[in-house]
Amino acid sequence: MQFCSNFIAAFVVVLVLAGCATKPPASDKGATQEYQEINDPIEPTNRVIFEFNRALDEVILQPVARAYRVVIPSWVRARITSALDNLRAPVVFFNELAQGEPKRAASTLVRFGFNTTFGLAGLNDFARELGFEKTDEDFGQTLAIWGVGSGPYLMLPIFGPSNPRDAVGRVVDIVIDPFNMWTRNVDREALTYARAGTEIVSTRERLLDLTDDLEKSSLDLYAAVRSLYRQRRVNEIHNGHVDDLSTIPGVTNYPSWDNSIPNEEISTKP
Amino acid sequence: MKRIRFSFCALLAVLFFSMPLDAHAGEMDDKATTFVQDLEKEAVSSLTDTSKPRQERVDSFRTLFRDKFAVDVIGRWTLGRSWRKSSKEEQTEFLELFEDLMVATYVDRFANYAGEGLKYTKTVPVDENMSTVHTEIVRPDQADARPISVLWRVGRQGELYKVLDVVVQGASMSLTLQKEFTAIVRNKGSVAGLLEELRKKTAELNQT
Repeated sequence: MQFCSNFIAAFVVVLVLAGCATKPPASDKGATQEYQEINDPIEPTNRVIFEFNRALDEVILQPVARAYRVVIPSWVRARITSALDNLRAPVVFFNELAQGEPKRAASTLVRFGFNTTFGLAGLNDFARELGFEKTDEDFGQTLAIWGVGSGPYLMLPIFGPSNPRDAVGRVVDIVIDPFNMWTRNVDREALTYARAGTEIVSTRERLLDLTDDLEKSSLDLYAAVRSLYRQRRVNEIHNGHVDDLSTIPGVTNYPSWDNSIPNEEISTKP
Repeated sequence: MKRIRFSFCALLAVLFFSMPLDAHAGEMDDKATTFVQDLEKEAVSSLTDTSKPRQERVDSFRTLFRDKFAVDVIGRWTLGRSWRKSSKEEQTEFLELFEDLMVATYVDRFANYAGEGLKYTKTVPVDENMSTVHTEIVRPDQADARPISVLWRVGRQGELYKVLDVVVQGASMSLTLQKEFTAIVRNKGSVAGLLEELRKKTAELNQT
């Protein structure tokens, strides 16, 4: 315990020392715009937390997730994922209502009813085969739909990439989850932790290929994760119907792309 | 009868007025779709054969990548506002290293994706010279049975079609690279610093 509190104290000191990103002078317009786009005012602190999370992941979570992949057959893993998703359905339902999406909410309700009973506690996703596709919503997305901005990028210890809006959303989702309410009422909170643990391992296992790839290929993993997290959230908020064309390298104002490098000044603006 | 004739005329009118535009955009869309399908076929035939030595697969991917992707366009776009600040020599070296990095990174990833089989869902025009080809990868054996969305941004210049970006589940390859490069230039203080990192990374990737 003593070690633990010492460790936390040391950690906090490091974080404070790491401090904030240096703001470019207002005269440098390009750099100022870039600084605002990056929207990560406490980047040095975030980077320290990121490295801490990575170390933790490497020592504890990754080995467990890899063992899970080796020991549990993929068919069983799929059933587990399905059951976990089904447990989340009430929260998804609530958020869909809050977002003014009654059709999606109704579909989620049908899925929950059907899969909980015929699907044996959600172990099977039979509703999907009947045309009720799985949807996913959380309160961070609901806040975004309500017009709340994301705020600056935030790397949370253990929980990973986030921002103030999504962090609040996460807490709300946990509080309103009927499963958690039930375990509190019947004094079986161990079930809440067991579910959270399974969820973490299951999610980590599914992300293994992606993170292995990223780890191998990226030059600045922190920056890559920051960008990917944001893009993923935007995509989730718009339910996959994003067509943000600002992200495409220009085409029309290009002299030639026939493997020669033209000398003309070209717009590097997206 | 009168009513039928009227609606028939209206239909004709609608067809007439909408045709030139649709025919134009439609042609681009069709060609863009065919282009991605050809790209997929070529990738499957040259990359998925794991019995071939890796170096051979790397070489054929480099050819494919140069041929089907607007490498220079993507490269300089990912360097963002630093492109104009760089010297000629830096720009040239950057583009070479960028290609090396892409080839070394994507040779395996690309083979994986292509081997799964793409489902072409729709193609949407962006403008007269660009279309987005929507595809999906369906992996029934995976824990999450929902299909993975892969968008291909295809542009053309004359009769030359090239991929400008690949967007997997909403995450753009070009944008992610741009953000990463921007962060490195910021932290290292110069494009030279980024080139140094790129040299290290490509050397490391080619060793394995």
